[in-house]
Amino acid sequence: MSASNTRPAAVPVWSQLPAAGAAAPTPLKSLCSSCNLRELCLPCGMDGLDVERLDSLVFARRRIKAGQSLYRAGDRFHSIYAVRSGTFKTSLQMADGREQVSGFYLGGELMGLDGFADGKHASSATALEDAEVCAIPFAHLASLSAANAGMQHALNRLMSREIVREHGLMLLLGSMNAEERLAAFLLNLSQRLKARGYSASEFHLRMSRADIGSYLGMKLETVSRTFSAFQLHGVLEVDKRHIRILDIDRLASPVESRMH
Amino acid sequence: MNPVTPELLQRYDIAGPRYTSYPTADRFVEAFTAADYGQALAQRRNGAAALTQPLSLYVHIPFCESLCYYCACNKIITRHKERAAVYLRYLAREVDLHTATLGVGQVVTQLHLGGGTPTFLSDDELRELMAMLRRSFTLMPGGEYSIEIDPRTVDAGRLQVLADLGFNRLSFGVQDFDADVQKAVHRVQPFAQVAGLMEQARAVGFDSINMDLIYGLPRQTPESFARTLAQVQQLRPDRIALYAYAHLPERFKPQRRILQSELPGAPAKVAMLSQSLAAFLSAGYVYIGMDHFALPNDSLAVAKRQGRLHRNFQGYSTQPDCDLIGLGVSAIGRIGATYSQNAKTMEDYCDALDHGRLPVVRGLALTRDDLARRAVIMALMCQGQLLFESIEQAWLLDFKNYFAREFEQLHELTEQGLIVMDDAGIQVTAQGWFFVRAVAMVFDRYLQADRTRAKFSRIL
Repeated sequence: MSASNTRPAAVPVWSQLPAAGAAAPTPLKSLCSSCNLRELCLPCGMDGLDVERLDSLVFARRRIKAGQSLYRAGDRFHSIYAVRSGTFKTSLQMADGREQVSGFYLGGELMGLDGFADGKHASSATALEDAEVCAIPFAHLASLSAANAGMQHALNRLMSREIVREHGLMLLLGSMNAEERLAAFLLNLSQRLKARGYSASEFHLRMSRADIGSYLGMKLETVSRTFSAFQLHGVLEVDKRHIRILDIDRLASPVESRMH
Repeated sequence: MNPVTPELLQRYDIAGPRYTSYPTADRFVEAFTAADYGQALAQRRNGAAALTQPLSLYVHIPFCESLCYYCACNKIITRHKERAAVYLRYLAREVDLHTATLGVGQVVTQLHLGGGTPTFLSDDELRELMAMLRRSFTLMPGGEYSIEIDPRTVDAGRLQVLADLGFNRLSFGVQDFDADVQKAVHRVQPFAQVAGLMEQARAVGFDSINMDLIYGLPRQTPESFARTLAQVQQLRPDRIALYAYAHLPERFKPQRRILQSELPGAPAKVAMLSQSLAAFLSAGYVYIGMDHFALPNDSLAVAKRQGRLHRNFQGYSTQPDCDLIGLGVSAIGRIGATYSQNAKTMEDYCDALDHGRLPVVRGLALTRDDLARRAVIMALMCQGQLLFESIEQAWLLDFKNYFAREFEQLHELTEQGLIVMDDAGIQVTAQGWFFVRAVAMVFDRYLQADRTRAKFSRIL
């Protein structure tokens, strides 16, 4: 539990990535100890010695172009993936052929945990922009953590974080109206960007209106109409995918009212 | 080896919820109706994001041939085997009402048959039940399919039938091997009988065998329980669940047949718990949490090491958090942000289905506060770790402000060495794992409200 005092002041971590990545020869390998995302990713909460142990694993980096998939539903599960840069969506193919978006992932977040249950990925992961991930072979990580209590704690902490994040407010979607759904989504995104050293109030959406609609269980027209309503009421400034939150209290108020 | 002293046990092994759900089932209300449940099912069908996970199924078989005096479960004692066939028809109707909304073929990765006594059903009836479930749901290979076994009702042949039906884990109700104790609770099943069945179950190839034990039963002494513990170690089940007997004869009628004078006192109970912990840990079992132990290679122990534990009405589980459909009399379900419970009597259960209604009679629609607290409690009980930031992001709240009152109580737990706190989060210590319920209780808003009321009435 020593993460807090070593956590650096908020730095826009993504903007620093090319410094580490560009000069490195292919195939790219990354060391956790020198990664800019270490405070958000796997090493979060580990002491120096444990991070060195992680370094012994040397994770392979993979670049994924916008629109390409990292894994598909049904693929065998052998790795979890830490997002180094870019944004991903995960989705399920419904019986009637529709795509159901099940989540969005930003830098420092882990993907692929859906493969645990039966050794196969339950969803597909697609890059929404050019992206880079570290592939972390789970068997290695598990054996490292079985042999070492510090690593085991760190892994537990990480899993706890991802499990909590996967559920969250979205469980309430069923009982929310369109405004509340979109507000909850934007607030969640804003918080996650803030934790990465980005502006919490101004950002570029990497996902389409259709993806947002699918994720929130809203029709495309409703998503667009709700964005317009927020803009009309001076809550948001919307320019295509560029979002500026003008009044965060009013954005939060319909969600707040559901607290009890 | 054993980090738990009798003093700590006395102080923190307190009566309290087991948090197989939060809020706990005693907080469910009748204002939550079958219509609300139907709506939750419809929302799952129209499913956004979090609602499209695989399903877990629980089927309650309420019948028992004979009464165990300690039992607090919902059950019907009968020798009329024909009642099972009628019940199966009602279960099928209940399933049909679900598929009418959800559609046929929803993916299932976990199934548990509990009771009562699931093995009250004949082999043919079990076949019929499983065929009915498989027609309505898609039971995925690699899932957890478990059934509770009354050792007095099965033999090697029946175990093979269960395996052929797709069950891959068994749970034996043992409670205690001592002949005198078995007589006092009206459940006589000699060690040799259970040992034989365990051996046969292993030969058939079940992935995991659990054994249920109870301490605090009549005529139990630390000496007699030590013999039972030695016999358990001889059989070496993959998992052990050790429950404390709670004597509440005014609430549970069967318990009135237990003589108060034969019950072990509090010091003897603490001694039995303490010696059980020591025995299991020194035999190489991993303490999973609450009442559960597992061998290091059992999937539950592996999941604990990897931070993948979850908790639902079936206790600790390796399956991801998911919706649960509870089928049968008194069964509890969880769909989306709701909990629901079926009618507790056979009459009410059948009556609802006769009228084409889902038999849900009570439940709860969780608020954001409930859901955030559930996330906190489950993170503590399953990972033993809580990162404030993850709760803040998922639930859009400022953790330290929101839980300011809880922090006061957490400081006491810190002083006792049960948890470690820093700016980023809470970590349950090795010692704290044994009292994780006490840590979870801090975040139970309903319980805290009760305490405040109680304190208030004491002052008056």
